[in-house]
Amino acid sequence: MAEEKKMKRCPVTLQPDIENILDWSSLEAGDFEQASQSEKEDFIQDRQSVSYWKDAWRRLKMNTVAMVALGVIIFLVLFAFAGPHLVPYGYEEFNKGAENLHPFHYALEDQKRLEAEIAARTQTETLSVDDIIAQAQAEAEAKGEKLSSVDIAKLRAQAKVNTQSASQEDAVDPDEILKELGIKKKLFGYSMAELERKAAGEKVFPHIFGTDMYGRDILVRVMYGARVSMSVGICAAILVLCIGATYGAISGYCGGRVDAVMQRIVEVIYSVPEMLVVLLIATALKPILTEYVNTGSGPLKSFVAVLGPNLISMFIAFGVLYWVTMSRIIRGQVLQLKQQEYVTAARALGASGGRIIRRHLIPNCIGQIVVTTCLQIPSAIFLESFLSYLGVGVSAPLPSLGSMATDALSGMYTYTYRLVIPSMVLSIMILAFNLFGDGLRDALDPKLKK
Amino acid sequence: MGKYVAKRLGMALVTIFLVTCLTFLLMNAVPGSPWLSEKAPSEATLAALNAKYGMDKPVHIQLLKYLQNLLKGDFGVSLKMQKNRAVLSIIGEMFPVSAKVGAIALCWAVLVGVPLGCLAAFKRGKLTDSILRVVCTLGISMPSFVVASILLVAFAGGIASMKIFPTIFDPSVGWRTYVLPCFALGFYPMCYTARQTRSAMLDSLNQEFIKTAKAKGLKNSKIIFKHALRNALIPVITYLGPQVAFTLCGGFVVESVFSIPGLGRYFVQSIQNRDYPVIMGTTVFLASFIILMNMVVDILYKIADPRINLTKGGE
Amino acid sequence: MAEGKDNQKLLEVKDLHVSFFTPAGEVKAVGGISYDLNYGEVMGVVGESGSGKSQEAYSIMGLLQSPGKVVGGSITFEGQDVLKFSKEEMTAFRGSKVAMIFQNPMTCLNPVYTIGNQLVEALRAHDKEISKADAEKRAMEMMEMVGINNVEKRMKQYPHEFSGGMRQRVMIAMGLICHPQLLIADEPTTALDVTIQAQILELMKALQKKTKMGIIFITHNLGVVADICDKVSVMYAGKIVEQGPVDDIFYKAAHPYTLGLLRSMPRVDADSYERLIPIEGTPVDMLNPPEGCPFAPRCEHCMKICLKKMPPYVEIGENHRSACWLRVQEYLNKKSDSREENGNEQ
Repeated sequence: MAEEKKMKRCPVTLQPDIENILDWSSLEAGDFEQASQSEKEDFIQDRQSVSYWKDAWRRLKMNTVAMVALGVIIFLVLFAFAGPHLVPYGYEEFNKGAENLHPFHYALEDQKRLEAEIAARTQTETLSVDDIIAQAQAEAEAKGEKLSSVDIAKLRAQAKVNTQSASQEDAVDPDEILKELGIKKKLFGYSMAELERKAAGEKVFPHIFGTDMYGRDILVRVMYGARVSMSVGICAAILVLCIGATYGAISGYCGGRVDAVMQRIVEVIYSVPEMLVVLLIATALKPILTEYVNTGSGPLKSFVAVLGPNLISMFIAFGVLYWVTMSRIIRGQVLQLKQQEYVTAARALGASGGRIIRRHLIPNCIGQIVVTTCLQIPSAIFLESFLSYLGVGVSAPLPSLGSMATDALSGMYTYTYRLVIPSMVLSIMILAFNLFGDGLRDALDPKLKK
Repeated sequence: MGKYVAKRLGMALVTIFLVTCLTFLLMNAVPGSPWLSEKAPSEATLAALNAKYGMDKPVHIQLLKYLQNLLKGDFGVSLKMQKNRAVLSIIGEMFPVSAKVGAIALCWAVLVGVPLGCLAAFKRGKLTDSILRVVCTLGISMPSFVVASILLVAFAGGIASMKIFPTIFDPSVGWRTYVLPCFALGFYPMCYTARQTRSAMLDSLNQEFIKTAKAKGLKNSKIIFKHALRNALIPVITYLGPQVAFTLCGGFVVESVFSIPGLGRYFVQSIQNRDYPVIMGTTVFLASFIILMNMVVDILYKIADPRINLTKGGE
Repeated sequence: MAEGKDNQKLLEVKDLHVSFFTPAGEVKAVGGISYDLNYGEVMGVVGESGSGKSQEAYSIMGLLQSPGKVVGGSITFEGQDVLKFSKEEMTAFRGSKVAMIFQNPMTCLNPVYTIGNQLVEALRAHDKEISKADAEKRAMEMMEMVGINNVEKRMKQYPHEFSGGMRQRVMIAMGLICHPQLLIADEPTTALDVTIQAQILELMKALQKKTKMGIIFITHNLGVVADICDKVSVMYAGKIVEQGPVDDIFYKAAHPYTLGLLRSMPRVDADSYERLIPIEGTPVDMLNPPEGCPFAPRCEHCMKICLKKMPPYVEIGENHRSACWLRVQEYLNKKSDSREENGNEQ
């Protein structure tokens, strides 16, 4: 009867039955005493509060792609800035006798074998042109005639055609012979002279990526190119950051008419076709700056001279146009943050406008700023290579990855590596920055990741 | 609606005007002149040439004169590259070539990019997504000259057995000649579109109304294609404007690589040759085109989104 | 007793556990709740933000968003285990058997489609046979039923042309268009003005009487609960701390948290000098839920045992249960009293 009643009263049978629980819970005497305040406080195991940056770093660390990208970036920085010190060649050093080296070589003895083999195969007696003419003259004289100069020219032409067709028919393909002899390519490029020096026991640094048509070491040039690209990328990003953040913060903070006017300006710049204008500015400024370096004076001159007019004109071009996105982002953030109570509170306490921007607004949109700046780097590198490729960016003697690719176009099919190596380095660099920037955005802005 | 369009048009005209002035001043600031490369002309000849083309007057007068002519539709004549030929007729000849290549490139970019982006968003966190993400990031990391040269090496002679497409652009060959340039030109916008679509799609899939749609018991396909995609595509439209610009400007490089007789290549050549009227003409033309395209895309965006009431003057 | 289905179980939830697997660790959003709901009954689920009340509702609909997952327990709807449904079964189940309306009507309607389109779509998702014209007719009837005038015109309008209250009406119409047996309303009035709130509540009450459906009404507003519900579950930190008929909860509240909620609620019938008393402190961190009663640190009656062990449910009245050591203490006292009495008798 009691059982039945209980069932009725407690329809959800899975509810813990108080009797059962009390059976196993051995209650202590003091259990039903009032707990003290300190006991209550101890009870709450607060989650270890994680700071914004720590949290972001934790998220970033979990993002494998971003971490690999970071590794690549670090490697590239070392490659570009420490690398040239390890390689004993200069980017503008013409290594005589080492022109057009591939990034591989054949051992000295192999090359000799190859030459011998080629010589052996081409020994089929083909008479030289002069021999033919001499022969013909002798024949003519024997007949009592004399060869006219026209006849000689005819003979010459014919002989040439003959030898050409002969050499075409049984042309010796060095590749074939290499295969037959079982000679294998060895890594890195060495010129003959260098191989001999090496054989003599000297230590010779190889041309790891080969050399170009003037015998310049491609590895060093790529290193310097990467250095230029990265410098341009980072400086441009900082420039954009400074202009954009200031402009955006002022525009957003002041609001009202100031904001309206500033935003109209932004809108105009926004719709300007960037590449077109950057191309023009870069072209136009370069000669002006060059002239300034040659004729000007003062500390600014030496500064311009150190960096080179190329780079500076590119920075300016970049700085003039690319800050717009940054300023828009910052303005949006500021407008949003302005509504927050703590800003009102700070203002009520009499904080100056500058102080509010510095102490409250900037720290709160720092995440966005970092991400946008980071993503600005690859786009600057992209633009630099684009301009250099068109021949209006970084120019000789300083190498740039873009201009190296242009130079390589002429011998594209025979010396493919000259095109591929700088292109690869460039693409990998931009890719690494992009992937890292993406990862950073995901880490700093968890809302976007959802 | 009308008010909004008028406002945008006004902005566009101001921008075009500013770009024109900026270009003109920049051009005049550059040392050197179109006559330099010819065998050092005598002082007298130089003066005569300058006088003939009105280049002896102060810059602001020249600019005013230029703007006046521009309003009349007179872009001036080429000084050097195709001497005395009207710039407008040069543009008329070159632009269709660029536009055709560009349009094909942009079309395939959008037609492939949008579905890829959707696929990546749909498979978020899975292998497909990761692969697509890396490929698309690679795509926006490779300058067009890299893509173009890789294509050339791979499919136009580098590998003997793979010489499928011609190296040099020649419309008489037929469609084959378009494949490589259009691919090279469209690769970046394709990847860009895919990335934008993916993030817009994810954004859209996180909206509350998707939850409503699920609660209604709609099928997954319907949720994605009807509810998420439509909302995702609206912001994607806005990216199309800048992409038109990019495709045209990317054309500078691709046209050089494939020797396409288009406006982009000509523009770069004219800069190198200091052929002022041609530089001015092409800049003004391209800039106006890009600015107007941006404007059209913006207006399309407002039309595509029913939330924005254009009859009340926008915003 | 001619109640028909009235006393039969519509939904039974047993020991439901829902966890979110975040990078920081497992967050136990719902830690073992059980209740049942009969046909035509309205149950209120009350609790503050983050108490897991919405997540519990989402798990019924299979709408938990990753990284959330049901990790234990069962949900039985009309004798079928909802958690074992295949994807297709779940799709067919949502909308036709159970409908849900959400907190924010502003964002819950797709901005790029007309109201009519979205209503018709809901109907046609489950009734493949119905013609478009019929579906539209039904949609218009539903809109009239939820009190929208000028239906013909309204059907062709976009969500942004509707006010918040009107949108919530549309949401309700959309939920009810397939005649579901259960409606889950996730804070349907929270985002609305007070006057609109009253209208929506009236509407829901009227519709409930008409359609005899079961309703799970999730809210943090006890006033709303008193108005509409038959019974109430009070949730705190993923657990039901008190459960019972609505009158019991209001007049014989047995858990300090429920009492706290009641005291912090303004009342029309209260003495004008009576002050509202807030519940001090903040909810516990669900990432490392403590061993004992989650409410202990905020509870004025907190005892030593509260910090050590989760209290069991004690029945206080018919269908009225509460999980609090105070009640256990009372029970024990009563028991020892009765033992003493028994002993005396013996």
